[in-house]
Amino acid sequence: MKLILTGLLAGLLAATAAKADEMAFTSWGGTTQEAQTKSWAAPFEASSGIKVLQDGPTDYGKLKAMVDAGNVTWDVVDVEMDFAIKAAKDGLLEPIDYAVVPKADLDPRFSNEHSVGSFYYSFVLAWNKGTVTGEPTGWADMFDTKKFPGKRTFYKWSAPGVIEIALLADGVPADKLYPLDLDRAFKKLDTIKSDIVWWGGGAESQQLIASGEAAFGQLWNGRVFALQQDGTDVGVAWNQNLTAADVLVVPKGAKNKDSAMKFLAAATSPTGQAKFAEASGYAPINTKAKAEMPADAVKALPDAHVDGQINLDMNYWAEHRGEIATRWYAWQTK
Amino acid sequence: MQGSSFRRSSVAGLPAGSGSALPALLLVGLFFIVPVVALLLRSVTDPEPGLQNYAALFGSGTYVRVFLNTFLVASVVTAVTILVAFPVAWMLAIMPPALGSIVFGIIILSMWTNLLTRTYAWMVLLQRTGVINRALMGLGIIHEPLPLINNLAGVTIGMVYIMLPFMILPLVGTLRAIDPMTLRAAALCGASPFEAFRRILLPLSLPGIAAGGLMVFVMSLGYFVTPALLGGTSNMMLAEMIAQTVQSLLNWGLGSAAAFVLLVVTMALYAIQLRLVGAKRAGGGI
Repeated sequence: MKLILTGLLAGLLAATAAKADEMAFTSWGGTTQEAQTKSWAAPFEASSGIKVLQDGPTDYGKLKAMVDAGNVTWDVVDVEMDFAIKAAKDGLLEPIDYAVVPKADLDPRFSNEHSVGSFYYSFVLAWNKGTVTGEPTGWADMFDTKKFPGKRTFYKWSAPGVIEIALLADGVPADKLYPLDLDRAFKKLDTIKSDIVWWGGGAESQQLIASGEAAFGQLWNGRVFALQQDGTDVGVAWNQNLTAADVLVVPKGAKNKDSAMKFLAAATSPTGQAKFAEASGYAPINTKAKAEMPADAVKALPDAHVDGQINLDMNYWAEHRGEIATRWYAWQTK
Repeated sequence: MQGSSFRRSSVAGLPAGSGSALPALLLVGLFFIVPVVALLLRSVTDPEPGLQNYAALFGSGTYVRVFLNTFLVASVVTAVTILVAFPVAWMLAIMPPALGSIVFGIIILSMWTNLLTRTYAWMVLLQRTGVINRALMGLGIIHEPLPLINNLAGVTIGMVYIMLPFMILPLVGTLRAIDPMTLRAAALCGASPFEAFRRILLPLSLPGIAAGGLMVFVMSLGYFVTPALLGGTSNMMLAEMIAQTVQSLLNWGLGSAAAFVLLVVTMALYAIQLRLVGAKRAGGGI
């Protein structure tokens, strides 16, 4: 019966059965996927003759349903790294064929047996210069409503970031963040709960800050970069920027595995990574990429701000996803 | 439907004409019954056979809170929708038919616009820096922006707007069927307009209100986009919670259990309404 259900679900999801010279790439939509299409898919199509169909947004439930039903229509998927670690453990992913994907120059922090880095990014503190007087310098300022009045916006879902921010603001040293003290984090978050506006997606975070609806926010650095490129007057504090990564994975049973591996090789190549980083403001995971980028584009990357940079612990999150989420939603809906 | 006028066929004891209804029945079976049964099975088999998902559901303060909140939001939305829809429906019922069909067209037209677009439009209108707050502050009526979004007010405004046609349509049908002479008779007997409304119009339009109200309430229970964008997390509704449970946490069993409980409660409400107003009147006017 379970098979019938998953079969039905996947049957509905399967829009088109992919042909031999086609493959499907799924990412998060918006400015990020546009940059991936332009920097990776278009040159790859030209050089390999394999057509890359764009799909999205990434949906972990869909991915699991496809794998469970044995009807996988996505070949390469951009996912958050903590999810990839968990999904690999649950047997949802194909191993990466490092005979096809050159590994030597890849940042070892973001590539492993079942996933290869897509890009890495930082959560930064961004603010609308039109509504904020003064200059926030760290996460503690997001919790100081006297000094910095106004609404603050944070990422809505249970994911690496907000818990760490609350702990840092409460004075926990960066190297003592893990294991996360959830009680302390929620207690700190309680102090500003009524001032929080949640954002559920990148475009929403941009809209909140650009309109001044929220004065400050925890944003992905690439989204702040895009706002600044558009001429929006946004300030950004890189102090205590929190890195996390997206990785590319191949779902177990993907129909075009060989094409997928070739695509991964192109996407993680120095040129592919350099082009994407330049277009998005997210950092390359290929250590040779920066040499191919213009100097001013390199300056906009999280790499330029390693002082005070803190790495969110993806392995810790992969391990504790469920229990943190239970606490998170219990607190949030209260 | 005139259930009582069906003749029994002598062969199988099925209503005459059920042969031609077979494709429709198959469709309902395939796209409704099968998924519902699969959902139920999943909730008691995933990850292992047993009732652990239901235990987790009712043992979790979060889910219980979200359940209660879902019913609160749906009730508020239904009540406000009825209040707003009634005058519009009455106006439509007594309007000259030509003008009425134009107004009707405008109401229907709003249903053709993409839901997400309409919800985003409300965001632009309602937010602190939005059109409404700016206008009110510009006019000096308020000095601080009103909190119209990311709370119950935002969800209610956005959802009432979307639900209005579903309330107006059955109501107009019921109101048109009311003989205007009854109101005239009431006036002749000395009833004030309010008295005529309370004792004649309102009781006679109850079936339409009940039918539309139930539809709005049930649709509201499962709403996703509008509460997610216009509400705050303390007004999180069940659909969003289920989506998180399934999509992000990959807990299909718990998500299925929650969806099934919602379905059972909804069916129970429908059954109660059938009891209260009778099958014919509950469906009447649609």
